Amino acid sequence: MNKIIIGENIVKSFGEGDEKRHVLDGVSVEINEGEFVAVMGPSGSGKSTLMFALSGMDDVDGGKVVFDGRDLSAVAENELSDIRRTKMGFVFQQPTMLKNLNIHDNIILPSMRGNRKNAVKISEKAAVLMKRAGIAELEKRDITQVSGGQLQRAGICRALMNSPKIVFGDEPTGALNSKSAQEIMDLFSEINGDGTAVMLVTHDAKIAARTERILFMRDGKIESEMRLPKFDGTDIDSRVKEVTVKMREIGI
Amino acid sequence: MYYGIIRNDILKSKAITLTTMIFVAAAAMLVSLAAILVVNLTGSIDTLMTQAKTPHFMQMHSGEIDTVRLTAFAEQNGNVDEFQVLEFLNVDGAQIVFDGRSLADNVQDNGFSIQSKKFDYLLDLDGNVINVTDGELYVPICYMKDNTARVGDKAVISGKEFTVAGFLRDSQMNSTLSSSKRFLVSENDYAEIKDLGSTEYLIEFRLRDLSALSAFETAYTSAGLEANGPTITYALFKTLNAISDGLMIAVILLVSALVVSIAFMCIRFTLLAKIEDDYREIGVMKAIGLRVSDIKKVYLAKYAAIAAAGCILGFALSLVFRGALLENIRLYMGESESSSFAAALGIIGVLLVFLAIIAYVSVVLKRFRKISAAEAIRFGTSQEKHIGAKRFCLSRNRLLDTNIFLGVKDVRARKGLYATMLAVLVLSAFIIIVPQNLYNTISSKSFISYMGIGSCDMRIDIQQTDNISEKAAEIAKAMKVDSVISKYAVLTTKVFKTKTEGGSEESIKIELGDHSIFPVAYSQGRAPAAEDEVALSAINANELGKKVGDVMTLVMEGKEKNLMVCGIYSDITNGGKTAKAVFTDNSADIMRCVISAAFSDKALTDGKVLEYGNRFTFAKVTGVDEFVLQTFGPTISAIKKASYAGVAVALIITGLVTLLFMKMLVAKDRYSIAVMKAFGFTNSDIRLQYVTRSVFVLIMGIVLGTLLANTLGQVLAGAVISSFGASSFEFVINPLTAYLLCPMMMISAVLAATMIGTSGTGQIKISENIKE
Repeated sequence: MNKIIIGENIVKSFGEGDEKRHVLDGVSVEINEGEFVAVMGPSGSGKSTLMFALSGMDDVDGGKVVFDGRDLSAVAENELSDIRRTKMGFVFQQPTMLKNLNIHDNIILPSMRGNRKNAVKISEKAAVLMKRAGIAELEKRDITQVSGGQLQRAGICRALMNSPKIVFGDEPTGALNSKSAQEIMDLFSEINGDGTAVMLVTHDAKIAARTERILFMRDGKIESEMRLPKFDGTDIDSRVKEVTVKMREIGI
Repeated sequence: MYYGIIRNDILKSKAITLTTMIFVAAAAMLVSLAAILVVNLTGSIDTLMTQAKTPHFMQMHSGEIDTVRLTAFAEQNGNVDEFQVLEFLNVDGAQIVFDGRSLADNVQDNGFSIQSKKFDYLLDLDGNVINVTDGELYVPICYMKDNTARVGDKAVISGKEFTVAGFLRDSQMNSTLSSSKRFLVSENDYAEIKDLGSTEYLIEFRLRDLSALSAFETAYTSAGLEANGPTITYALFKTLNAISDGLMIAVILLVSALVVSIAFMCIRFTLLAKIEDDYREIGVMKAIGLRVSDIKKVYLAKYAAIAAAGCILGFALSLVFRGALLENIRLYMGESESSSFAAALGIIGVLLVFLAIIAYVSVVLKRFRKISAAEAIRFGTSQEKHIGAKRFCLSRNRLLDTNIFLGVKDVRARKGLYATMLAVLVLSAFIIIVPQNLYNTISSKSFISYMGIGSCDMRIDIQQTDNISEKAAEIAKAMKVDSVISKYAVLTTKVFKTKTEGGSEESIKIELGDHSIFPVAYSQGRAPAAEDEVALSAINANELGKKVGDVMTLVMEGKEKNLMVCGIYSDITNGGKTAKAVFTDNSADIMRCVISAAFSDKALTDGKVLEYGNRFTFAKVTGVDEFVLQTFGPTISAIKKASYAGVAVALIITGLVTLLFMKMLVAKDRYSIAVMKAFGFTNSDIRLQYVTRSVFVLIMGIVLGTLLANTLGQVLAGAVISSFGASSFEFVINPLTAYLLCPMMMISAVLAATMIGTSGTGQIKISENIKE
C-alpha cells in the first residue's frame, strides 16, 4: 500500500523560555492511501496541531513531513498552496465559509482559482456533490440562512471539489447534534469508500469507532494505536465499546 | 480604568492611532493658522490704514484742475473732515533705472510724490511717517519683494541721480492689483523732475462720518467736479490690501475643511471596524446591564485622548509655521496690534475641531443602540444582509479572474465600509484636479478675456498726453502696413454723463470702437454691434442697476441718447467701471486709447513690442504675456504653488488613508484570509484581491472626483476668481494632466500603499486563525 503521508519525528513547540511547551514531541506517523484514520486524545494533547503539521498549514520545528512523495519543508509556499488546493481537502469544526459568498460560490471557490474557463464543469461537479450531500436545494442561500449541519455538509462538498487524495477533518461534528453528526459521518464513510483517505481529529468515541485505525495522543506523543476492521454499517455498538475500553485502558 | 483600556488599545493599533492623530493635528494646525492669519491680517490692515490715515474717498484726475472750486466744495460739505490734492508725477518706466536696470518692462504706472502734509502718509517699514531729504528716494515695498531695488542702490530718474534710502508702505497702492505705484522724493527734488512726466492729481477726502460715504460720493459727482480718472473709496483700499493674503487664508480654510472631513472619515472607518471586532463584547456588556452611555464612554475616551493629543500638536505646529505665513503680511502691512488675541482665536479654532470630533464620534457610536445583545452573543457579528450583491455570483463569472472577482465582490458587499475610503479618494482627486484646472485657466491666454481684456498679443496704451486721436491714428496707420500684424483694433475711451434712476447725472467711461475683433467674455448677453447698444462691466451694471435689455440714457451735448444694454462682462481694468459701445462721437475729449494687435507669428511678439515701443515713445507698449505675468504673476505663481502643494497633500492623504484602510481590512479579514489560504490560495492571490478592492474603489473615486471637480470645483474656483473681478468662467482643462497624469499618480500611490498595507497577509498563520 502506498503511503500518502509520512511524518517523521515531528517537533512543534509554542512559547519562549520557561513558557516553552512542546505540543508535538517527536511524533512519527504514516497514513496509507485510502485509509480512514482517527486521532483521539484529551484537550491540549496535540491532535489539531498534528493535523496542521501534516497538511503543511503550519511549519514544524523539527522532523519532516513527506506528502505524496514530497518533503513539505522543501516546498515553496506557493507550491504548498497548490498542493493543499489540489490534493487535500479540509473540514473544520466551525464552518469556515466566506460571508460574502452564497453556499454554492463558497463550495466552488477553491476550484475556481485560475480556472474560470471551466466554470460550467465546476458547477456541474458541485451540483453532483451537493445532491449527494443532500443540500442541492440550498445552493443560492446565504451562509447565514442555513443550519450548522447543512453548512458542514457544504464544507465537505467544498473539500471534495478537487478530488483530493486525503480529506482532513478537525472535529467536523463537534458543533453538531448527534443525528447531524451521524449523517456527516455517513458522508465521510462514503468518501472513504470511493478511495479517498480521511483523517479525523475527534474526542468522540462514536466517531472514532467508524474508522479503521485510531491514534491516541497524550502530551504531544502518540501513546497508543488501535486497528478496527473496515466499518460496514453494522455492529456500531460493539465497535464503540471496544474503543471506550481501550480509552479507559490507557487513561484518556 | 479608562486609562488602562485606552493605553492597551492604542498600543495594539499604533499605526492606525498615529495616522488618525496626524490628520487631527493637521486639521487643528490649519484651522488655528487660518484664525491667526485672519486676526493678524485685519489687525495689520487696520494698523496700517490708521497710521497712514488712508483717505476715505479719492478721485484720480488728469488734466486741468480747479483747486479753488474743490476747496469751496470741501468747505461747504459738512461731512468733510480734511481735504487735500496730492500730485502724482507719472514717469515712464524706461526712465526709472536702478543700478542699470530700468523698469521699462514694468506694467505698473510708476510715479513720484512728495510726503503728504495732512493724511495719506507714506510709511517706512517701522510704520513711521517718512521724512525724506534731498537726493533720497523711497521705493514701493513690492520692488523690495521682487528684488528690483536694494537699499543703497543708485537710482537714476530721467537723468537725475538718487540713492535708495529705504522702502515705503503705501496704504493705497501696496497691492500689485492696484495699478499705480508711488515713489517718494523730497519737495526740492520733486520740483526738479516735475517736467519730466505728466502730472495726475489725487483729490483726497477724509470724512467725519464714514458711514455717509455713499451720500458724499453722490454729492461729489453731482457737483460736477474733476473726475477724469478712477474713483476709489476706503472700503476698496481695504479690499485691495486684503485680497492676496485673504485668498491664501481662504485656501487654507478650504484645505482645513477637507482635512477635517478626512480625519472624520478615518475615525468613522476605524470606529466601525472596532465595533465590528468588539461586537460580542459590546453585546455582553449590554447583556449584563451596562448602559449604552457607559459603553460609549470607553470608546469616546480613546478618541478624546487622540483628538486632544492631535489638537495640542496641531496648535503647537501652527505657532511654528505662522511666522512664515505672516511674513508677507508683516512686510506689506506691518505688525498687528492684536497678536495675543490671534493666539486666543487660534485656541478657540482648535477647541472647535476637538469638540467637532467628539460630537462626531458620539454620533457614530449611536449605532450601539441597534446592537442586539442576543444576536451579538450568539453570532458574534452583525447579521446585516448583504443587499445588491446577490446576482453577482462566482458561478456565473466568466469575465474576471477569480481573485479580481472576489475583490470586486467584497467592495459591492461591504459598501458602507468602502464608502469611507471612496469619499477620501474623491476628495483627494478633487484636491489634485481643482487647483490644477484653476492654474491652467488663469495661466491660459484666453483667461484675460474674463478680465475685460480681449486676447491679443500686444497692447498699446496712450493716455495722459495730448492729441490722443492723432497719435492713435499714427500707430494704426503703421499697423495697417505691418505684414506681421494679422488684426488690430483701436478702442477709444471717452467720459460721458448718464442719467441715473434718481434723476441725477453720473459720469461713465465708455470704450468706443469695434469690440468684435478682440472680444471679451460676456457673462450675460453679447458685445455691442449696433449704434444704440452698450455693454456694461459687472460693477457698473450693478451700480447703475441695469440688466441686459434695459435702457440707459446718455447726455451728450445737452441731448439725451438712449442705449440698450446688450451685454455684461467682467472687468478688472480701470477700477472695474467700464462700458463698451460702437457709436461714433466727436463731442467729448478722449481720455485714453488702447490699441490691441495680434501677430501672425506669436514668436515675433517680443521684437514687435520693442519696435513699437521705440517708434512710439509716447505710448506704453506691452506684450500681453508680460502684462498678464506682471498683473497676475504673483497670483498665478501662488496658485501654481497651491496646485503642487495640492498634489503632494492629496497623494500623501491617498497613500496614508489607503495604507490605513488596507492594514485595518487585513486585520479584520484575518479569518477569511486564513480560510482561503487553507484552501490553497497563495499570498499573491490574496494580495491581488486587495489590490482589486483598492483599485476598484480608486477608479470610482477618480471618476467621481473628476466629475465633482469639473462641476462643484468650477463653482468654487469661480468664487475665488470672482473675488478679483471675473464673474463667470469655464475651466481650461489640460487633458494630459487632468485625465492621465493625475490618475496615474493616484493609482501609483494607491498601489504602493496597498502593497505595503497588505504585506501582513503573508504573516497570517492559518492554524492560529482557524484553530477551534
